[in-house]
Amino acid sequence: MPKPNRAAQIMVVDDDPDTVTILSRYLAREGFVPVEAGSGQDCLKALQASRVDLILLDLMMPEMDGFQVVRALKNNPDTAEIPVIMITARDDIDARAEGMRLGVSDFLAKPVLRKQLVNRIHAQLEGLATARAAEDALGRFGPETHKK
Amino acid sequence: MASEAKIAETDFSFSVDRALIGHHPAIVKLRQLIDRVAQTDATVLITGESGTGKEVVAHSIHALSPRRSRPFVPVNCAAIPHDLLESEMFGHERGAFTGASGNRQGLFSMANGGTIFLDEIGEMPLALQAKLLRVLEDGVIRPVGSDRGYQVNARVIAASNNDLAAAVKKGTFREDLFYRLQVVPIILPALRERRSDIPLLVEHFLERIRARSGRTLTISRDAMVHLWSYDWPGNVRELENMVERLAIMCEGDTIDTSALPPNLVSGGRMAEVQVPDKIPEGGLNLNTLVRELEGRLINEALKQTGGNKQAAARLLGLKRTTFAAKLRRCGVIAPSVNGRETG
Repeated sequence: MPKPNRAAQIMVVDDDPDTVTILSRYLAREGFVPVEAGSGQDCLKALQASRVDLILLDLMMPEMDGFQVVRALKNNPDTAEIPVIMITARDDIDARAEGMRLGVSDFLAKPVLRKQLVNRIHAQLEGLATARAAEDALGRFGPETHKK
Repeated sequence: MASEAKIAETDFSFSVDRALIGHHPAIVKLRQLIDRVAQTDATVLITGESGTGKEVVAHSIHALSPRRSRPFVPVNCAAIPHDLLESEMFGHERGAFTGASGNRQGLFSMANGGTIFLDEIGEMPLALQAKLLRVLEDGVIRPVGSDRGYQVNARVIAASNNDLAAAVKKGTFREDLFYRLQVVPIILPALRERRSDIPLLVEHFLERIRARSGRTLTISRDAMVHLWSYDWPGNVRELENMVERLAIMCEGDTIDTSALPPNLVSGGRMAEVQVPDKIPEGGLNLNTLVRELEGRLINEALKQTGGNKQAAARLLGLKRTTFAAKLRRCGVIAPSVNGRETG
């Protein structure tokens, strides 16, 4: 699989500051660049200014919950293709079904093994790398399809 | 061996939208790439895990190409014994080797004007790789036992499920052939890398069953959620087989969670941590495995106790402090209890 030539930026969205700190520290240790957001609004606002490669999104947050955030992300063509992994303490079939319906890329229920989390992140990043490889190959067949 | 040379019938109404299903950006781009590549004679190398649809893609490229009315000849390089592969591919003259009682046309000649699909190319012996490279350079086939060559016009599509680049480094695959094949690299994503396409694929397979059988078969939302949550190590082919199997087993009109195999309902989440029955050839790391097993059971205990660490420790017969130490070492991200999170 083609590897991106820079460390992937991963946004952690959770209203619990301890969780954000723990996850960020762990992601950094795994070679990712963590980007922190304390709420759904923070996440959407930050994405107006800069892009990330993947979002780890908590489900239960006050004001704007994880599903509302996903809806907003998917409705915006600029953010619709960013993979979202929901990570939540609420593991019931209704929550999973709603995540699936909204098009989240993965759904993890806490407790989560850190190794498992990293595997799931890598799977989504590989999917993105594959899309990039196809786009590069397409680019060699004529400038009209090559957008980069 | 002639069965290896089944020459596919070509469906003229073929559309790439039906061959590669999905909304994932990788699939969308791949459909465009396949459409475009089909119009050329460029050599294509398709890589992807087993079950990701390499042959489907190869056939799509052929069916969309100007060669579509000519043969598509798939060859599985791993299924044909090494010492027979050369004569299968290039043909042989009478008396070329023991048992070669007559002249025989090779698969390359059968693909003349069409496409030859060399699946599992990584299994091809090095000596034959050199000969294939020459064919790719000058288009001239030399049957075994013949001193004359002749021109063949076959488009070559190769596929591999292992990492050919690694085989090149190891010296089991020729570097020059690797680059010659890779004129257009097509990488197929594993299904777990595009999980959001699973419901669409399930619906597609169900629709095909409905059209074929006249049944009004559907799947319940919850059963679909389980299919979506599973990791599908055998990729799209495994999912397709599963939907077919569920349809056969289903007596009513709706496939429900109760019809799913148990590993799909609960085990899917844990499938990543596997304890082998036998010690593999290359050995294993006991410490890592033990830690994984610990992590898995700690995880399960926390799930059962709703994240209560003291109760989870009791469940595992551990002191609270031992449990806390193991929790840290095994890397479990626990749910927050009273707003506190442990990592």
